[in-house]
Amino acid sequence: MRWTPRTESTVGAVALALFALAALAAVVFAPPPPAAPLYEGSGAGRPQRGGTFVFHHETNVRSLDPHTAFDELSSMAIRLLFDGLLDYDEHTRLVPSLAAQMPEQSSDGLRFTFRLREGVRFHNGRELEAEDVRFSLEHMLHPDVPSQGSTYYQGIAGLEDFRERRTEHISGIRVVDRHTVEITLSAPDQTFLAAMAMPFAYPVAREAYEGEGADPAFRPIGTGPYTLDEWERGVRLTFERFDGYWQPGKPYVDRMVYLENLTRDVAVMRFRNGDLDAAHRFSPADYLFFSGSAAWRPQVIRDAKVNLWGFAMNTELPPFDDVHVRRAVASAMDRAGWSRARSGRLRETGQPIPPGLLGYDADTTDQHRYDLARAREEMQLAGLPDGWPEEVVLWNTSSDTSRFYAELAQADLARIGIRLRINALSFATWLEETGKPRTAQCMLAGWNMDFPDPSNFLDSLFHSRSAREANSTNRAFYRNPALDALLDRARVEPDLGRREQMYRDASRLLVQDAPWAFMWNDEWLEVTQPYVRGYRMNKVFSQDYRFVWLDLPRRRIARRYGAHLPRGLAGIVPLPLARGQER
Amino acid sequence: MARFLASRALFASFVLLAVVTIVFVLMYGVGDPCAAKLGPNASPDRVQECRATYGFDRPLLVQYASYVGVGACVRRSSDAYHEAIDRRGRCGLLQGDLGESVLHGDEVMGVILTRLPRTLLLGAMAIFFEILIGLTVGLVAAVRRNTWIDTGIMGVAFLGISAPTFLTGLVFLYFFAFRLGIFPVGGYGDDALDHVWHATLPAFTLAIIGAATYARIMRGEMIETLRSDFLRTARAKGLSPARVVLAHGARNALLPIVTLMGLHLPIVVSGAIITESIYAWPGIGRLALESIVNQDAFVVMGVVLMVSLAVQVGSFLADVAVATLDPRVRLSEG
Repeated sequence: MRWTPRTESTVGAVALALFALAALAAVVFAPPPPAAPLYEGSGAGRPQRGGTFVFHHETNVRSLDPHTAFDELSSMAIRLLFDGLLDYDEHTRLVPSLAAQMPEQSSDGLRFTFRLREGVRFHNGRELEAEDVRFSLEHMLHPDVPSQGSTYYQGIAGLEDFRERRTEHISGIRVVDRHTVEITLSAPDQTFLAAMAMPFAYPVAREAYEGEGADPAFRPIGTGPYTLDEWERGVRLTFERFDGYWQPGKPYVDRMVYLENLTRDVAVMRFRNGDLDAAHRFSPADYLFFSGSAAWRPQVIRDAKVNLWGFAMNTELPPFDDVHVRRAVASAMDRAGWSRARSGRLRETGQPIPPGLLGYDADTTDQHRYDLARAREEMQLAGLPDGWPEEVVLWNTSSDTSRFYAELAQADLARIGIRLRINALSFATWLEETGKPRTAQCMLAGWNMDFPDPSNFLDSLFHSRSAREANSTNRAFYRNPALDALLDRARVEPDLGRREQMYRDASRLLVQDAPWAFMWNDEWLEVTQPYVRGYRMNKVFSQDYRFVWLDLPRRRIARRYGAHLPRGLAGIVPLPLARGQER
Repeated sequence: MARFLASRALFASFVLLAVVTIVFVLMYGVGDPCAAKLGPNASPDRVQECRATYGFDRPLLVQYASYVGVGACVRRSSDAYHEAIDRRGRCGLLQGDLGESVLHGDEVMGVILTRLPRTLLLGAMAIFFEILIGLTVGLVAAVRRNTWIDTGIMGVAFLGISAPTFLTGLVFLYFFAFRLGIFPVGGYGDDALDHVWHATLPAFTLAIIGAATYARIMRGEMIETLRSDFLRTARAKGLSPARVVLAHGARNALLPIVTLMGLHLPIVVSGAIITESIYAWPGIGRLALESIVNQDAFVVMGVVLMVSLAVQVGSFLADVAVATLDPRVRLSEG
């Protein structure tokens, strides 16, 4: 055959096509990705000590100071380093932790006496004393400390004088003896003990805040089960077991490694390759994989998150100053459609209190559900049968998921003649701008539980006290004296039955007035490896891994961390390079 | 040569100054790092105190002057800003001080120096792959020009140039690390050998565009050289074909490649931002991204400065290398 430029280009094209075919064949015939867990446990019945537990988050930890850090991923680390006076059990009930027993409460409900466990030591070896509890609370509540916690402890007597710098100490906090501290409130508050279980109130060692080189955000000193060994900011935190921990035999794992800034895709691939011990937050494809995989099913933890999402409408601005328009929006949102679009991970709701909390009422949902006829009727009642003539601005955050939701809202509201324009902002700007009065017309808003009490949702989102000149959490700027009075009474009501009824009434009122279209509670899905034992989903603190244990053969525990060269090269590269291969 | 070096150095410092100025103005307009660090509940006093410590409360020009290190570093009073400078013992770029990271609470120089060796390792491995693959393939294509080998190689090279790094990175990660399990799924590893092992796949990803570019240029240059008279003479003298191609041909064809390598250095560094993010490789590329998200202005400026320094050094080294390889350049510079 004679070569000409024409035959050359033909042959070249054939070569390219062969290359593409070879690549395709490689993809098709390559071994499939691991569909089942690679490593099983050894079947030990009792907790084993040792090993390294590796977990992750997709962004970076900002601070390890429990007084100022107020985000989920910082608290994942803080829970390893600190303990509270009170904590939650697996049924989300308050239990004593550093307190020897639940605090004694005076008959008027104002005075709480906490007796501390004796022999609890900080990581620097010093014993925890009542004075530390006072120091910690006063430090967190000090006007110079930018803690978001101050709002939860307003009831402590003498706090105002302290924050106005009129007194050196908070008069409501009294050290009775070395192991007893007494806290007095100015008015009864049923949420106070829940607030004492929040990380803001975790006792910290004074030494972490004072003296040369003290830096509580980066060099914390707590009483928790782990000490911080190393932190390369933005990359990873390493924790070592604290041998002087007050709970005998605990914690079980020798070393905890918290990888920061690991993207979702990489995290899932690593997890399925056996290099990560737990995974959470999934892309839609991975979510469907784990929720549908029979091999992974025993490892999947799936539950409703105690949170609330909805479409918040600014009641100060038109068209949402009209209750009929708000009700129309509440009926126009196709919640089931949204859930389908998100692989079924939204659990529809029609009320402000999430399931599982006091006051949740399965009967109040009918008004906030998809009913286009009713929505159009409400628009008629508002005098807007053809819809609102102007564009309405939806203030949104710039994440992909938010944008997705915003587009769903656009489509739903277009059916009743409300045209939404999306204004996408960074989360920080969104928080700031939507917290100002008469600024944002409407937004998709959510609230994650700080402590398991309905007041955490209703007071924060709908009490007029939470609508401020800046940093409002009542982003609908909804003001209703009847609701305020009801919430204020419920907050102090000692009788559980009456309290529950009050929250049910409050919930009905909010459903009627519809400052939000109540939409859904998130479904939460997380997965751990089969050899990770003793982990239970904590409804209050996400990814609370402090007391997990690893059920792996001894040999593998010793080589657990740094398991690389996973599968393909195991036969090619000789041991000891192929670490982590043994089962 | 000395005059050449001096003029290059002068030019480089002007470029660096321009880069510093532009980035400074851009970062100044982005937002308040103190507000970002302290959160929405910080009291105005506390934010003010933070701004004073980092000098953000001073007029723009004064901030600029102290960042560069002209005049404004002189202590006038005992305030938080000067105490922070005293702690560092240096002040301004001219003294090698890149400021303090608001997020890390550490000197920017220290933060960058922790991350830089990793990016250098990744970059060095990427450049090694680029040269190895690019030159070999380019040479083969030139020698076998106008055959199906040539067309095939150039077709694949064209694919390599066209494929964006974020795509090839994810595909490689999925296929070679996850599906085949040959490489680790991202990360940095524990010891020296482990670091190199973890860097292999990201370095290969980073090298693809460069390798494809080199292959195309090498082919073109080599074809030109192979046609030249001096090679015909070499062949006529009876030298072996391998010696003709490698010792005589390749040496001449390398000249433009060397220039290109110098200019390619910054592309490797900026490509590292994407590659490092995909592979969770903790180098300065990922540091830049984290710092932008957290509005950590001084770190962003520090990283940009490092990258532009790499550009300058790269093109300078290329000039020197070309002068060394090509006697004509040496002679004309006098």
